[in-house]
Amino acid sequence: MSELTVTVDGTTVAVPAGATALDAARAAGRWVPTLCFDARQAPFGACRACLVGVEGAANPLPACTTRCREGMAIDTEDPAARRVAHAVVELVLSELPRAPAPDTELAQVAQRLGVGAPRWPGETHAPADPDVRHPYLAFQHELCISCGRCVRACDELQGTFALTATGRGFHANVAAGLDEGFRASACVACGACADTCPTDAITEVSLLP
Amino acid sequence: MSRNLVELVRRHHALAAPSALDVLKEAVEQRGEVTDEDRREAARRSGLPEAAVYGVSTFYDDLLQPRGARHVRVCTGTACFAATGGAHVEELRAATGLELGERAADGSTSLAETVCLGFCHSAPALRVTGSELDVVDAGPGAVARVLADACVAAAEPDWSSTLPEPVLTRPGDWSGLRRVLEEEISPEALLEAVTAAEIRGRGGAGFPAGVKWGFARAAAGEQKFIVANGDEGDPGSYIDKYLMERNPALLLEGMALAGYAVGAAHGFVLVRSEYPRSKPALEAAAEAARAAGWLGERFDVTIVEGAGSYVVGEETALLACLEGLRGTVSARPPFPAQEGLYGRPTVVNNVETLCNVPFVAARGADAYRALSPDSDTAGSKLVCFNERFARPGVYEVPFGVSMRWLCEQLAGGLRDGRSIKGVQIGGPLGGILPAERLDAAFDFDALAAEGCMLGHGGILAFDDATSMRDVARHLLRFGAHESCGKCFPCRIGLRRAHAMFAGEQPVSRERLEQLLETLELGSLCAHGGGMPAPIRSLLRWWPDELGLSA
Repeated sequence: MSELTVTVDGTTVAVPAGATALDAARAAGRWVPTLCFDARQAPFGACRACLVGVEGAANPLPACTTRCREGMAIDTEDPAARRVAHAVVELVLSELPRAPAPDTELAQVAQRLGVGAPRWPGETHAPADPDVRHPYLAFQHELCISCGRCVRACDELQGTFALTATGRGFHANVAAGLDEGFRASACVACGACADTCPTDAITEVSLLP
Repeated sequence: MSRNLVELVRRHHALAAPSALDVLKEAVEQRGEVTDEDRREAARRSGLPEAAVYGVSTFYDDLLQPRGARHVRVCTGTACFAATGGAHVEELRAATGLELGERAADGSTSLAETVCLGFCHSAPALRVTGSELDVVDAGPGAVARVLADACVAAAEPDWSSTLPEPVLTRPGDWSGLRRVLEEEISPEALLEAVTAAEIRGRGGAGFPAGVKWGFARAAAGEQKFIVANGDEGDPGSYIDKYLMERNPALLLEGMALAGYAVGAAHGFVLVRSEYPRSKPALEAAAEAARAAGWLGERFDVTIVEGAGSYVVGEETALLACLEGLRGTVSARPPFPAQEGLYGRPTVVNNVETLCNVPFVAARGADAYRALSPDSDTAGSKLVCFNERFARPGVYEVPFGVSMRWLCEQLAGGLRDGRSIKGVQIGGPLGGILPAERLDAAFDFDALAAEGCMLGHGGILAFDDATSMRDVARHLLRFGAHESCGKCFPCRIGLRRAHAMFAGEQPVSRERLEQLLETLELGSLCAHGGGMPAPIRSLLRWWPDELGLSA
């Protein structure tokens, strides 16, 4: 396979043809915040936390869906990109009725970016009791940030298609089957959705707080 | 978009299965709502997994609004807002006792919001449907007539051309395709002519059509598609409505020529469900074209109706809607020219863009480029005006004329002695030009220099009585409602931006601008990326009206 040479924050790295800017940043050992990305799944480009500066581009570009070109220069700490990433994580936290657990990916990304009190507070998802109709898997819909990782895990990794994105705009969320819980859906309890969820909106019943 | 679902849909489509969206639409038409039994039936007939069908059923406005025996859809588009300030919606709510999206307990009446019905020349507009009834009433008194059960079908807008030789308002006569076939012009030569003609996309982005066609032609694969984007969702615009309903043969000819140049044997038109007359008009024109031998074995078309979503006008969301899936935006690459409808190379062009092609085929690139003598932009453009103007309607104009000439001479200025406060050009993602800047030229670059855009060509005046804070609130409410929910900045950011203007509280200019930057730089598509443009105009020209704090 042919290789491309790119630089990330001044460090030169070789990446295979077809690699993304995120692949290159990770190959160079640089951190780029991500929320909707899971290396086992096709890039989705939804969260926009992974913006990076690219030499010659007028505006920051999403690292996960931007393919590397020979000689491309990537700046993972581009000030505008970081401002947007910070704002995105702040917005996401502002839609949750309670803070995500400290061990979740979202909480860790927020901590690393130093995200504090929301500048744009407002309506949150409605708090609800966890949906524990399934013996192993639980929904906490109010923690869903619509990153699509669970839906793609069920589609791309498990091939079961038991999950879907639901709603539109601010009211987007996820559901199993016809939204009657995991048990009444095609779910085979593989756990791939709970494994990838960055907020514990889907988690194991035994791990519920 | 899930490649697995798209492949699943492709295989079922090849076996003539209906799309899940078609089955769900049918259920709403027949029973006024979607039930779980309808969803299971849609899954069975379309081959989509039940969960995916559930996702579709919770996405589109048409599937979410319950319908009574008499279903009243009130237009909350920007032209209707500019006409009444929203009073027509309040009047309906008060008189029916129903909220938007609510059906009376006895099932007699239901009220729903729609954006927009394309009767912007005669606002406010309402559509009433029931057994053997489907009428759009518009203009002064429309609400009272609808409430009295005495609605009257509104007149369609007038249209005319200011060009010595019309291109887009000339009835389609298949002369372009006739010439190509009779003179045995090769697909390569036609593509070359379209590229040389420099037809820029008329849907908003202005991308050169010839370049797009070239990508699709060069893409690997036997099966390719032409898709006409007839989801003219921009409130205030009724240009594609005019083309699809009153000049449908011109569009079909443009699609057939695109198919010939690109190597595609089939095309689809995605029309908005808000334009109920468009699909029948296009189907009748297609039937006539088949009878005359213009459509058929070489190239044929299918007309598909959407289900209520503004963002479906974005090309990847449009393809998802055609496949009967949730109309959400997908990151590019892959571009539709490589991997589009059913995963096949696809040209997605706006309706008006395709309507330019027959002239180029019949008369050549040089004649086309000469149509706008005062501009470097080739071809002509359709514009339309809202009912605040004295002579609203659809006009074919050259590029490069001044906005002042368009607004004051062509459309006659505002009626009832009103004066223009500002005009929003090219839809809700376009900037607002204040009256004192009307000398700007109507052209891509000149309008961009004013923080505006040509967009799709709708010209919508706000008169001197308009509160610009209300305009901000109106536009951001629309933006938040129509966000597809895919990317985080748009999904949450537009909601927050609307909340900042929702009440009467002061708006922190600093926080607003930080939010606008997040939307502009972070959004996945032009919806979230473009909604800040009119807000930037308001901040620039009418800051004192917005109730700003530091």
